[in-house]
Amino acid sequence: MRNGGENRGRLLLVILIVSSLFLITLDLRGVKVIDSFRGGAHTALSPFQRAGSVIVTPIKNFSSDVTHLGSTRNQIEDLRQQNQKLRERLILRKNQDGEIAQLKSILDLAGTARFKIVGAKVISQGSSLAFTRTITIDAGRGNGIEKNMTVISGNGLVGVVKEVFSNSAIVMLATDPEFKVGVRIAGTQQIGILTGLGSSAANLQLLDNQTTIKVGDVLLARGSANNKPFVPGVPVGRVTAVSNAAGAVTQSATVRYYANFGSLGVVSVVVDAPKADPRDALVPAKPTPAPTVTVFVTPTPSPSPSN
Amino acid sequence: MSIKRFFITGSIFSILFILQEAVINQVTLPAGGFSIFLILTLIWAVLSPPVVAASVGFGAGILLDLSPSTSGPIGHWTLILVLLGYAISFLSFGNENMRSNPLSLVFMVTVAQLIALIAYLISGFLLGITATSFAQTITTLIGSSIWTLVITPLFLPAAVWLHDLAFESRMRI
Repeated sequence: MRNGGENRGRLLLVILIVSSLFLITLDLRGVKVIDSFRGGAHTALSPFQRAGSVIVTPIKNFSSDVTHLGSTRNQIEDLRQQNQKLRERLILRKNQDGEIAQLKSILDLAGTARFKIVGAKVISQGSSLAFTRTITIDAGRGNGIEKNMTVISGNGLVGVVKEVFSNSAIVMLATDPEFKVGVRIAGTQQIGILTGLGSSAANLQLLDNQTTIKVGDVLLARGSANNKPFVPGVPVGRVTAVSNAAGAVTQSATVRYYANFGSLGVVSVVVDAPKADPRDALVPAKPTPAPTVTVFVTPTPSPSPSN
Repeated sequence: MSIKRFFITGSIFSILFILQEAVINQVTLPAGGFSIFLILTLIWAVLSPPVVAASVGFGAGILLDLSPSTSGPIGHWTLILVLLGYAISFLSFGNENMRSNPLSLVFMVTVAQLIALIAYLISGFLLGITATSFAQTITTLIGSSIWTLVITPLFLPAAVWLHDLAFESRMRI
């Protein structure tokens, strides 16, 4: 009886071993049924593994944080410093992008007029408490800059060089109350004198009281002898209001400068200009209004309830 | 083994297999970690007669072969666990001194687990399974043995209780 039990046990062991070897053989021979078994097992296990991952991940993270407490702190500090550097680089990049855009517009303007220019960065803004409107640029005598040279931005006239040093120069802005420039109206060629008012607006006085001026007229620099202090043809500003005071000897108007004095980053000093007056070639193009999209909607009559 | 015992044993091993695959395998433990499923199989083999141990080894081996983390062919773990289960049960079954002594049991499970891993490596080499570096293999073998030595005493009471539940016997350890 006992022998029979042992024999059955040994027979079962042999059957199990043979089955195992049979399975190994089938799998190594690439039988598809075996592969599908494995695939089915993977499919059945994957939801449990996902659930396990949800449970285990916070514990893993916590234990990892505890284990690497010192290194995590250092890593956070490193990342903070890296972040700060990247922010600084981003700000610098934005600043450079702005300067490039300004420089490009200056080059466009100077290229059209064939001005020879020296580019310069604005390194200081004059204090408004000094009651003068000036800027300091990083180009000076060493760069060929002289007193009374015209300073332009991409939009138009900025001012005139007031003081020159070896490596820098002070520019009187067109907004300074002492600033005066002879201008002419593009198209009609009427002339007048523009005076700074301490803000982005200026006052224009026409020399001829017979002529008329209207809102939107463009003013260009009339130019001086030997192009100092002003080269001719540089856009100055646009008339925003006309004053028609009764009995006035000359007509006057309020003008808004083209140059944006609040964001001057890069300017150019005109060191030489062609003898020929560019006339109205530098008149800025009028901003084109964005097209308005009109949508017509025709209401569809709602179906009436059937009787 | 009656159908009831078969189902209880199958359920216990399936749950432990899922626990191993879904939770324990996802925790990155140093030196290879441990397999609670393999430990249960070996404890079960120590506590059962040789025929039952071989049958349980067969079922557990099939499950291990179907595991996504196994690289060998199906039947690889099955063959090893059938032979190992039968062998350790043959050595310990009827020897009450060994079965009733927890230290002997832990020692036997640890050694059996190490033998299982070495047998898996050697047979895998013969079957053409690419193994890791020698240093990594040695680290895993030693590390998993230490893990088994630590985990088995903690898990042993639960495993014995589950075995008693399946076989309606009362084992005193």
